[in-house]
Amino acid sequence: MCGIIGYIGFRNAKEVGIDCLKRLEYRGYDSAGISVIDKIQQVYKEVGEIKELEKKLPDIKGNISINHTRWATTGGVTKENAHPHLSTNKKIAIVHNGIIENFRKLKEQLIAKGYKFTSQTDSEVLAHLIEDNYKGDLEKAVFNALKQVEGYYAIVVTSSDEPDKIVGARKDSPLVIGVGDNENFLASDIPAFLKYTNRVIYLNDGELCSLTDKDVKVFDSNNNVVERNEDIIKWDFKDAEKSGFPHFMLKEIFDQKDTVAYVLRGRISEIDRKIEFHEKVENLLKSELDFINIVACGTSYYAGLVGKYLIEKLTGISVVVDLASEYRYFGPKKENSFVILITQSGETLDTLAALKEAKASGCKTLVITNVIGSSATRLSDSYVLTQSGPEIGVAATKTFTAQVITLFLIGLKIAFNQNKIGFDEVSKNILELKELPKIVRDALEKSPTILEIAKQIKHAKSVFFIGRGINYPLALEGALKLKEISYIHAEGFAAGELKHGPFALLTETTPVVAIATKDSTYDKILANIGEVKARGPTVLAIADDADTEIEKHADLVLRYTSHSELLSCIPIIVILQLLAYHVANLNGCSIDKPRNLAKSVTVE
Amino acid sequence: MKCVILAAGEGKRVHPLTYTRPKVMLPIANKPILEWNLKNAIDAGFKEFIFVVAYKSEMVRNYFGNGDKWGIKIGYINQGQALGTAHAIGMVEKFVNDFIVLSGDTIFGKQEIKAIAKNKNCIGIIKAENLKDYGTVEIKDKNILKIHEKMENPVTNIINAGIYHFDKKIFDYIRKTKKSIRGEYEITDSINMMLNDISLVSILLKEWKDIVYPWHLLDANEEILKKIVKKIKGNIEKNTTIKGNVVIGKNTTIRAGAYIEGPVIIGENSKIGPNCYIRPYTSIGNNCHVGNACEVKNSIIMDGTNVPHQNYVGDSILGQYCNLGAGTKVANLRLDKKNITILLNGEKVDTKRRKLGIIMGDNVQTGINSMMNVGTCVGNNVFLGPGVVLSGEIQPFSKFL
Amino acid sequence: MKAVILAAGEGKRLRPFTETMPKVMLPVANKPVLEHVLDALKNSGITEIILVVGYKKEVIMDYFKDYKEIKITYVVQDKQLGTAHALSKAENHINSSFIVIPGDNIIDRKSIAKLIQDTSEYCILIKEHPQPSKYGVVFIKDGKLKEIVEKPSEEIGRFISTGIYKLPKTIFKDIENFRLQGIYDLSSVIQNLIKQEKIINTILADSWMDIVYPWDLIHVNENMIRDVKSTIGGIIEKGVITKGDVLIGKETKIHSGCYIIGPVVIGEGCEIGPNACIFPSTTIGNNSIINPFTEIRNSVVMDDVHIGSNSFITHSIIARGTILRNHFSNIPGENTLEIEGEYKKVKNIGVMIGEDCTIESQVVAEPGIIIGRKCKIAPLKRLNKNIPSESKVM
Repeated sequence: MCGIIGYIGFRNAKEVGIDCLKRLEYRGYDSAGISVIDKIQQVYKEVGEIKELEKKLPDIKGNISINHTRWATTGGVTKENAHPHLSTNKKIAIVHNGIIENFRKLKEQLIAKGYKFTSQTDSEVLAHLIEDNYKGDLEKAVFNALKQVEGYYAIVVTSSDEPDKIVGARKDSPLVIGVGDNENFLASDIPAFLKYTNRVIYLNDGELCSLTDKDVKVFDSNNNVVERNEDIIKWDFKDAEKSGFPHFMLKEIFDQKDTVAYVLRGRISEIDRKIEFHEKVENLLKSELDFINIVACGTSYYAGLVGKYLIEKLTGISVVVDLASEYRYFGPKKENSFVILITQSGETLDTLAALKEAKASGCKTLVITNVIGSSATRLSDSYVLTQSGPEIGVAATKTFTAQVITLFLIGLKIAFNQNKIGFDEVSKNILELKELPKIVRDALEKSPTILEIAKQIKHAKSVFFIGRGINYPLALEGALKLKEISYIHAEGFAAGELKHGPFALLTETTPVVAIATKDSTYDKILANIGEVKARGPTVLAIADDADTEIEKHADLVLRYTSHSELLSCIPIIVILQLLAYHVANLNGCSIDKPRNLAKSVTVE
Repeated sequence: MKCVILAAGEGKRVHPLTYTRPKVMLPIANKPILEWNLKNAIDAGFKEFIFVVAYKSEMVRNYFGNGDKWGIKIGYINQGQALGTAHAIGMVEKFVNDFIVLSGDTIFGKQEIKAIAKNKNCIGIIKAENLKDYGTVEIKDKNILKIHEKMENPVTNIINAGIYHFDKKIFDYIRKTKKSIRGEYEITDSINMMLNDISLVSILLKEWKDIVYPWHLLDANEEILKKIVKKIKGNIEKNTTIKGNVVIGKNTTIRAGAYIEGPVIIGENSKIGPNCYIRPYTSIGNNCHVGNACEVKNSIIMDGTNVPHQNYVGDSILGQYCNLGAGTKVANLRLDKKNITILLNGEKVDTKRRKLGIIMGDNVQTGINSMMNVGTCVGNNVFLGPGVVLSGEIQPFSKFL
Repeated sequence: MKAVILAAGEGKRLRPFTETMPKVMLPVANKPVLEHVLDALKNSGITEIILVVGYKKEVIMDYFKDYKEIKITYVVQDKQLGTAHALSKAENHINSSFIVIPGDNIIDRKSIAKLIQDTSEYCILIKEHPQPSKYGVVFIKDGKLKEIVEKPSEEIGRFISTGIYKLPKTIFKDIENFRLQGIYDLSSVIQNLIKQEKIINTILADSWMDIVYPWDLIHVNENMIRDVKSTIGGIIEKGVITKGDVLIGKETKIHSGCYIIGPVVIGEGCEIGPNACIFPSTTIGNNSIINPFTEIRNSVVMDDVHIGSNSFITHSIIARGTILRNHFSNIPGENTLEIEGEYKKVKNIGVMIGEDCTIESQVVAEPGIIIGRKCKIAPLKRLNKNIPSESKVM
């Protein structure tokens, strides 16, 4: 997916365009481009991050620009494939976020008509298609062109024949209008233009808009003008600084000593011995619940898996965790069932689609997200914010722990509502939750020790993570973190499953990280460690600091402190995050913007 | 010639009222400060305006729109961040040639604006008493020598009134202006630079109302109400007493037993009475309700607020959409009759007033028989339970149970 | 004019509180000392701050990332090799005369303004002090500095050096020259400049405090808390009495029956009471819980602290994350404490507890006891000796 910006107004369009574009860089950063109209379309594009483009840009005058930062989906990373794309007559420029599914057929037809293509992308089709439909009115041309398109898109278009107008359209990709004074903006994401204006108009799916420097018109899917109200955005998305940390991700891992407390604010009272959410959420949690579905992608999916163990342990209710990309097509959507969707950004496409399907089937929906005002919060019945502040590093860290704690709170509340636990249990758990900042600080202090261990495994070809029960999803997440930022192949397994296949992969160069908490399956995991060691790999155990057995079994040990059986997952994941970080750092990987990944995935 | 009005300021010293609105939208006699300036400028002959907005700009835009209501044109420029007066004025460069600019949160009279418009390259000045709060101006034979910063020992007794007449040349000096000690780009610094090359004439003003603290709104409210003329558009029942200059908006009902002593202004769609007492220098907004056995005196009550049963509100300012529970009362006089000191933004300020009630923000709900002591500042969205006794400064969104 | 703040030091004498943060970040009245310094500088005519950091610099940089009142540039002193060496790190950012301030000195705005306005090339702020021998005693002649005697053995003189100077850009050359002669601290550099016939003007500072030993925090807290903005946020139940200047942060809940006499500062997200008494001059940080029937007076309680019911805490410091279970009490009084090899007599001091300790029920602490970080203390213990970090008292 990509980031797109359109600007028309009294300021210098190149400066404003690039300034806004930088705030969308987390969406994609393999190439960037801009086209400013100054009599003709002046297009500049470069491979690499936005700053590479910025270095090569001359002083361009002009008050209308479209801008793009790319995460390649169709067509490799080349200068020709970067956006904006021009039509054959070079008058129409477009930027696009999404995938045109029938682009090959359209391309053939256009080539047959004599249009000349310069890239391998699907997006370029749109430029020529709009030129083909152009009869003097850009909105009509875009409208007619899009009727022939299958797929999903957010596009911004300008024509040098109408240099006082910008046209935007969206279908299943985000596009927001920023309403200014004597200027207007289009962007994939609100924070892009928040510095200039806090007034937004949300474009709905299938809609089109036309912006001049003084005016905003919105058209529905039948090309009729619709009235649309502005929303005022209250939040202030300050670009987090890295402070003294070399990477955002490291800072966010360290932020967890505070975020584990923030996520509790306003929700628990130690003295009143209660847990209470916003009214809508409370009503949902009080309703009849015999089956809970958790739906999410990526790291949030693993948070869901941890949540499953916690909620099942506390409430005895059956919890099924589904990947959003699967659930939206194949998931069981029983009417009146309770579906919890987890999405850090609130914009993850698969999760939003799942949310829409769940609602359409009559499910009760609750969203756990970090971004207030995001699409997910607007679509669901209720939502709980993780209150963790912006997460800039692409690999999710503090939002994972916040999501797990939120699921824990939900589990506690449901258990209390259903009389499965009383005030004493609630009280005990609240005290344990309140100790989390201290426990996270303890885990963070282990960073130098973790660095030493990272040195020993940084040359591995593959790393395996194993755990049982609640530690199994932690193993999955630990592997994902390592994979994401160090590019070393890593996989998580339920410890009991290793012998059913994966054993074949174990050699001296495949260290195994075993999460060995002192719970009911401790002996089993020791046995697993024994089996693994017999085949050669180094075993790194993550164990409780009171555990004196473990040294006899594992080669390396990383210890965590925990006073709570259910919440030991928090310090364990902090240790695994630091492990991934240090390995990646030692191997010189680009930690905050790992190759090929983007933060909030809005393609399917 | 265009009239530029600076309307971007938050007005931290007018907390809690400015937590939810920009300073220029504070109402005096039922019109925002900015509207008084607009009207006076229109009367002085201006037809084209530019408002430089930022903090809660949507409130300014929603109220004033494009100026159709007054038959004139209003354009807006979003300053974005509060980086000072020079930065604000610099933003309008593309849109003006010869222009006047004034601070939207100070009320300038019609004659004053006319005088400034007539003279190219001039600055409005005014004699003042509390000189330490302002930058003073040195003049010689009506020409400006220098504008000084706020000082402990002011050099003259004339201050910068905050209204200027410039032409395009000012923008060159604005571009050269550096950040002041306060971290802002100040127009006074630009002017002092310009004075090396171009002379500026001083125009002494007479009518000038500066709002620094919330109670100044009460002072300005009183002054403006002194000039109103009786005009009754609402429905007045029998057995009501209305004395003096009272303005009552349309669709407002005054029920039997209401006793209104002007000068008082009441907006539209409000319900007053039965059996209530409204005393001089009171402004009540639209959609308000002042009910049975209530007394309101020398106060500003904003739109949508209810003073419905057995309440006393004196020398106070109530924000929008507040609801006072039955029996809620305000104290406005110390028992020892000394000057009232208020806690504003955590600091003690001597209001120099013997009588001051409360300053209440928007959306406050008070329980039955709650009581608020002199000089209480209540933030917006505060909730007071029954019987609560309140004093001091209360932050927004707090609850007193 | 720019100011250089020396904030690289560890503050060994402030252990255990400085084990996790540099001394400039210790909180008084719920703000780090350094923030109080920056606030005082911002409206005094200082336009930019060069912050020399070192020991645990991330704590400083993370905290001040949102500080918008004044521009901050960070310079790192990798090894703590003396105050002159720290100052030399700022050389590239200084173009003219500047102010240098040790970051753990709390100084008032007027004194800084006086220093800026003074026209002499070299100038130092001095202060009258009842116990000058604790510091460098300063000898003056005709308003000019004659000599600084560091920690004299006898009681002589009335004035001390605050360590706050206005210096010309040429000082960096002098620092470099003296460094080659083995002189690393700023006051010795100044001393040597006096020998070279340089004139150092002196200005009397209005109010000045520094933090050297743990108990200084209590005294400085008492002073700074008087300036605190007293507004009330959060949820206040019925039957809560507050008198005097009380600051209660948002989302804090004060339960019924609490009696709070200002000046008191309570942070955000706390729960107090019911029936707890908080007396002057107490500061409570964020997310802390004070259980019923507890009395706290003249103490500094930091974030995430949990104080059990029926406790009595006076003239004490309780650091972040510590849990005191019910019926904890300490006795205030006099004691002689050993800090880094020096013996200090302290009057009217309570207990000083480091971070993340867990102290079980019914423990009593004698005057002046210092407890390290992460200690665990069993119930019914009487603490009459200092306890090093990470110990267990069974």
